[in-house]
Formats: sequence, structure tokens, C-alpha cells
Amino acid sequence: MIHLINPSTDPYFNLALEEYLLMNEFDLNDYFLLWQDRPVVVVGRNQNTLEEINLEAIRSQGVEVVRRLSGGGAVYHDEGNLNFTFIVNDENRSAFDFARFTEPVIETLDKMGIKAENSGRNDITIAGKKFSGNAQCRFKHRLLHHGTLMFDCRIEDMVKVLNVSPDKIVSKGVKSVRSRVTNISEHIKQPVSLEQFKDLLVQTVRDGGYLQGDRQLSKSELLEINKLRQKKYISWDWVYGNSPPFNIQRKKTFPWGTVDLRLDIKNGLIEKCKIYGDFFSNRDVTELGRDLTGTPYRQPDIDHKLAVMDLNSYFPAANPGEIEGLIGDGLVIK
Amino acid sequence: MNIPQDLLYTNDHEWVRVDGEQAYVGITDFAQDNMGDIVYVEMPEIDDEIAAGDQIAVIESVKAVSSIFCPVGGTIIEINDALESAPELLNEDPYENYVAIVKMDNQDDLDQLLSPAAYEKLCAETN
Repeated sequence: MIHLINPSTDPYFNLALEEYLLMNEFDLNDYFLLWQDRPVVVVGRNQNTLEEINLEAIRSQGVEVVRRLSGGGAVYHDEGNLNFTFIVNDENRSAFDFARFTEPVIETLDKMGIKAENSGRNDITIAGKKFSGNAQCRFKHRLLHHGTLMFDCRIEDMVKVLNVSPDKIVSKGVKSVRSRVTNISEHIKQPVSLEQFKDLLVQTVRDGGYLQGDRQLSKSELLEINKLRQKKYISWDWVYGNSPPFNIQRKKTFPWGTVDLRLDIKNGLIEKCKIYGDFFSNRDVTELGRDLTGTPYRQPDIDHKLAVMDLNSYFPAANPGEIEGLIGDGLVIK
Repeated sequence: MNIPQDLLYTNDHEWVRVDGEQAYVGITDFAQDNMGDIVYVEMPEIDDEIAAGDQIAVIESVKAVSSIFCPVGGTIIEINDALESAPELLNEDPYENYVAIVKMDNQDDLDQLLSPAAYEKLCAETN
């Protein structure tokens, strides 16, 4: 197994790197990586992104959003979080043994005098509180196991960005499970920095006899990974559009009446838009709904579409921006 | 481990049921048992053209995300819609619930597949 040293804190690059190492059929080495991201929410493979994040908090705190290859729920990374990844050959389908990969973490903490244990299928806990969430992804005969390690994360920020908005959204997407969380730093007896913890973890894996050496990414690898980052991980299509189909309902009462908006979104596009309400209109609003069909569910696209429509004929009493805000409100990504 | 005698199999634990030039493709009992409770299936699109060995679905279970490959090349003519709202059907009866039906370009692709006996041997070795 090779310890791959990756200093990048770009979440899109880091997830592209994982995919590259998992799926590159010309490099079948086993890899171990420790890496960090700048503040980001990472949603699971089959989650509806808009159902998992608080847009207002995401925007005001400048937190980014990305989708990962593996399944499960949304997590938050910041400079206080360390991620670990194992990518190994798994010819005989080892039945997704999680303990094999979480063992070095538990052992490292044990050396620091902290008792940690596997909990449920995917978590590692200290005193019953989660500090590590784990997930796996298999591609052909290779298996990726990765996990978060909350060392000294800003838990208040985590709570804010994962505190979902009150819009009524219904989908078949995978839902996140809320857990009580803790930072490793809260349980440390002598001062240990995240960097020192990282070194200890590498040492544990090395002592286990798995590591053959260290290396960094080559120029050609960086080029390939950056291509994947641009093409997939940073794209709206992957982060938002790839969400399972969902319905959203948004209802708002204005002085001139109540508007009840229902949207069906599939592959990131408005598949159906129905508008109900008790407001006065000069024109059948079903037309407006029909005209929005096929528009990407993304603010600039909706703004663009509405700009050329005669909104005033549908909502003569509405003030400028109110309808745009309602249809667009809660949307992300400029 | 249930291995029906009227199907063909792959090393990656997919099954194929041949009906004329159509191939029903699904995952085996071994695969569903290995994955555990299935929570989401990313399906291919009808009319997708695929080569033998291409990914046709991605299955998320409580344990992992796994890619499913199509052992025959051709055009997707039908998908099992029921899996979109009830992915657990793959756990309940993996042979009754196919993932997709492929209109095969070339029946020679079938020559690469395993007989039930050969697949049974593979499962025994894997365990």
C-alpha cells in the first residue's frame, strides 16, 4: 500500500482524486490518503442536494457544496476535519468489512488514551458520540473506504449548514441521519495538534505493515484529476442535477393573495410546474407553469426565462421581484 | 445461495436471461446478500446504447455503492421502473426483478458468460 501525499484542500479536486485512484485500470496499487477540505458540505451519492443543505447558511458562510461517489448522508468538512481514504484491490468481495479500515483510527486514539469504538455500520464514536462517518464504494474489483475524522470542527457551523430549510421537499433520495457528534480534541489529555494526530495515524498504518512507501501525484496524474474535477465534480449537473427526482412545494401569502407553487424536478430540470392560489389574474397561470417546463432548476436559468414572460398579466397586483423570488427562492449557484 | 439453472452469469455477479434477441439483466442472490439492504438504484435510460461491460446501473446499499455492468452490448429497451420507488425488491427477489432489458447487438457476447454450474463454483470459491 502506498501513502499518497495530497496537500490539496479543494473538495472538488479531492473527490476527483478518489475517483481517479478507484477507477484507473492502469494503476492497481493499494492507496492510503489523509486529506482535508476547506469548508464544504459533501452530500451522498443519491441524495437530493437541496433537501440536505441550508442555502442561507451556505451562502452567508461561503461554504461550498459537492457530491461524493459513495452513499449515505451529508457531512460537513472544515479545517478541523481530517479525512482518510483506503483504496484497495478486493478480488473476492470481502463483504464490505468496515472494521478492517477503521481499526487504525481506533488504535491511534487508543495510543492517545482515548477509547473509541465502531458503532452501527458506519460510525466511530467516543463516549457514544459520533466523530467519524464512513462509507464505501466498489468499482469492478477495487474498493474505496473513506471516513471523516472530526478533530476540532466548528460544530455550530456544521449544525447551521446542515439545518435544512422549511420548504416541503419530497423525494426518494437517501436521507441523512442526525447524530450527536463530538470532536476528538475534546477528549485529548495532553495537547495534540491535528498535524500530530495525522502523523500518528500514518505511523499506525505503517506499523501495521501495510505501507510500502510515500509518494506525491505526478504531473500527468494532476492533469487527469483536474480534468475530472472540471468535467464532473465542480459541475452543477453532478452536484445538483444528479439528485433523484423530487417535488417541491412553496406557498407564500402576499397582500394580494396566496400563491401555492408545486414543482416536479427530474435530472435537474423542471418537469412540471403547477401554480395554485386565490389571487386575481388576467391570464391562465397554467400557461406560465407550462412555459417553465424544461428549464433547469437553477436561479440564473429561471431568471432568464421569467425575464421574457409577461408576469404582470398573470399576477397584476404583484410587486416586481415577488414572483421571481418565489419561484427562484431557495435556489443556489449563480 | 439461489442459482437458477435457466440463467447465465458473470464474474461480477450479474445474471442474464435470454429471450430471443432480448437479454434481461439483473443482480444475483449472492450480490444482493453481499450488498445488504438496497436503498437506491440509479437506472439507465431507455434507448441508451451500451457496449458489453459498460456500467448500466449503480446500486446504493446500506454498506456501499456498487456499479453494475452489462455483460451484453446493445440498446436498453426497457428498465424496471419499480426499482425507482422500491429498490428493496432487489433484496426480496433478485431474479424476478431484473434491472433492464437489452436488445442485443451481437449474441456472441453470451459466449463469455458463465453456466450456472461454473457460477456456483465461483461463489463457493469466493465464500
